[in-house]
Amino acid sequence: MNVERLNGLSIEALYALADKMGLDLPPALERVFVVEALLEAIEEDSAERKSAGDAAVHIEEKKYSGSELDEIDASIDAAPCIECRYNETVVQVIARDPEWAFVFWDVKDEDFDELHASDAYSHLFLRVIKEPGYDGKTSASFEVVVGDEDDHWYLHLPEEDRAYRVDLYAKIGAKARLLAHSPVIRTPRALMSDSLADLDPDAAELAALSGLASLKIVPAPEHHPSRILGAFDD
Amino acid sequence: MESGLVALVLNSHLPFVRQPDYPRFLEERWLFESISETYLPLLRVFARLEADKVPWKISLALSPTLEAMLGDSLLRSRYVSWLSSQLELAEKEKARCSGNPVFAPLSEVYYELYRKNYEDFTVLYGGNILGALDFYYKKGRIDLMTSGATNAFMPIYRNYPEATTAQVEAAVVSFRAAFGRSPSGFWMPQLGWYPGVEETLSAYGLQYSVVSTRGALLGDPTPRQGSYAPVSCPNGFTTFIRDVAATDAVWSETKGYPADPAYRDFYRDIGFDLPLEYVGPYIEQNQIRTFTGFKYWAITGKGDQKIPYSPDAARGRVAEHAERFIRDRIGQATAAAAHMDGRPPLMVAPYDAELFGHWWFEGPQWIESIFRKAQGVDGLRFITLSEYRRSYPDNFESVPEYASWGDGGYGGVWMEKSNDWVYRHVFKMIERMIELAERFPNESGLRERVLNQAAREVLLAQASDWPFLLRAGKSGSFARKQIEDAVTNFNRIYEMLCANTVGTEWLTRLEKRNNIFPNINYRVFRRKR
Repeated sequence: MNVERLNGLSIEALYALADKMGLDLPPALERVFVVEALLEAIEEDSAERKSAGDAAVHIEEKKYSGSELDEIDASIDAAPCIECRYNETVVQVIARDPEWAFVFWDVKDEDFDELHASDAYSHLFLRVIKEPGYDGKTSASFEVVVGDEDDHWYLHLPEEDRAYRVDLYAKIGAKARLLAHSPVIRTPRALMSDSLADLDPDAAELAALSGLASLKIVPAPEHHPSRILGAFDD
Repeated sequence: MESGLVALVLNSHLPFVRQPDYPRFLEERWLFESISETYLPLLRVFARLEADKVPWKISLALSPTLEAMLGDSLLRSRYVSWLSSQLELAEKEKARCSGNPVFAPLSEVYYELYRKNYEDFTVLYGGNILGALDFYYKKGRIDLMTSGATNAFMPIYRNYPEATTAQVEAAVVSFRAAFGRSPSGFWMPQLGWYPGVEETLSAYGLQYSVVSTRGALLGDPTPRQGSYAPVSCPNGFTTFIRDVAATDAVWSETKGYPADPAYRDFYRDIGFDLPLEYVGPYIEQNQIRTFTGFKYWAITGKGDQKIPYSPDAARGRVAEHAERFIRDRIGQATAAAAHMDGRPPLMVAPYDAELFGHWWFEGPQWIESIFRKAQGVDGLRFITLSEYRRSYPDNFESVPEYASWGDGGYGGVWMEKSNDWVYRHVFKMIERMIELAERFPNESGLRERVLNQAAREVLLAQASDWPFLLRAGKSGSFARKQIEDAVTNFNRIYEMLCANTVGTEWLTRLEKRNNIFPNINYRVFRRKR
């Protein structure tokens, strides 16, 4: 997006775009200042994305030559038109990166009605379970309370290179009722499998020449503790 | 002595966009622009290198969606119509710029580009670009690879082996139909690798792929030769590793060659700059401004005032950048070779093909130039991935980690607040498709057609392009509609099958519109036990 293309938009579209980009602009600002603020925000956003490292995907955008509809598109928060749920009791989890997973769930109307019919029903929660690992540790878990209206969440997972499962529960009085459980996922490794001490000098040098530093990849320490053991109630 | 090897890998991909219900369609231009600015110019580069007996080797991944569109008669004929319109605009531009000493020669450049494209496409290749690629494939110049059926970001679907298998099977079947032989190489869309996918790939006779540097360096165990040699998974599947320095030379938005001020600016285009009454017939519906491909300004650098584009000045920079690329790779290879036990270091340089010519206008010239300049250079040679694999079959054993070439290095591009809603639907489609394949394992006739169409819709919904565009805020409405259409079509089929009724007229219309993967076999979705 450049200055020429911003100048082609209506003031309403410019304000909508500013809103979408999280800019808090005073109302009735002169057009030139709105454009200036947007350009600044776009430049900042671009700089952030470049500093995020791998620009391949950002460059990939260029092959989809757009039209001025893109800016109008960008200014509309359109929700999907298709039905948003399938009226089933389910929970799914997808590993996004070493630290975050995307969880989505649903409780079918019949189950929900039954829960709400009980005076003791308090809330839904997700139990995040660390599956037993190859290190022989027992499983551990922590809980996240979610609202009745929620249906998805990004969960911070405490350990890289671990298997997790997420169970959906309803809290009823002092008891927790299991509603659904997800398949097991594994968070990817964030540290190299080997410490530099494990590698011979040639291998360590070749790893460095391959861009270890620019990719901000950290070799495994000789003994690295789990990052946030305290998050679990072993 | 050979001190280094370079594998240039081009990933050619566009999502499936074919809208026969409309006389013309904005997003079909993605294909037309890529044919005009990338594929035909690259084929001319290859022809010139062949004519001059320059040794050149490229690994080229062709996605099944692009393969289908390049082979589609409706899109071919629409391309010729679009090209005629571009030629008409080129004529008008010549008249508009005549007498202007700066812009008149540039308008000639565009006229010549579109005239040559028309001649090459209609006469030289008879509309058959796949045939032209096959010619170089058979000569051993191009190592053709396939890719995920609809460019799905595979790690997201790893808990559904039926879905990842379908992405691989449909790709292999399409490749065989187009080129009469089985592919050996598989491009992981977005370099999205995860441990275990090698089993699926090997099951279809595929032998090698490319992974991100991050995925490889985080592999288990750590590769002993960094990114300078591939690694072999325990089942023998070879993963080549992207070279960071070679990629950044082109990819870096700020320091990469395409950012040079002398090169043609991508954004300034007469579609946005000239009056609507002039460009109207060549943009969308005569009024929605869009790129036309006619651009007269150089990148220039910081500041508001751009300078006119000079092809001669740009040509000089192409030569310099080609020399620099070769020189830097030799330097890199020399540094690595000292630690390599005698094997020449391999630098794998993967790029999106469509950026050469389309975004980086001078890109095809640069590709031509690096092959010409490497010709007289000792110690550096271009090689294809399959050729390397044959020469060096034994590699260090390691399994790369889940990673991608996206921002952040994992799956964040395809899973964030703008696009995460997609997965609730696609997962449901996959589950229902598995259910259908289990319920109807031996169907034929009409019901088989219905089930095959359902499988097509699942594959189309898995395309990573739509979440990507939703995140980028580009063609977002269109991307959203593609997903919604696939979900709606699939759900209608599911309900029809549950109710034991089939709307044949609707089905036939859908088969004609989404006519990709004619040989699909829905049974690929049967549960993997």
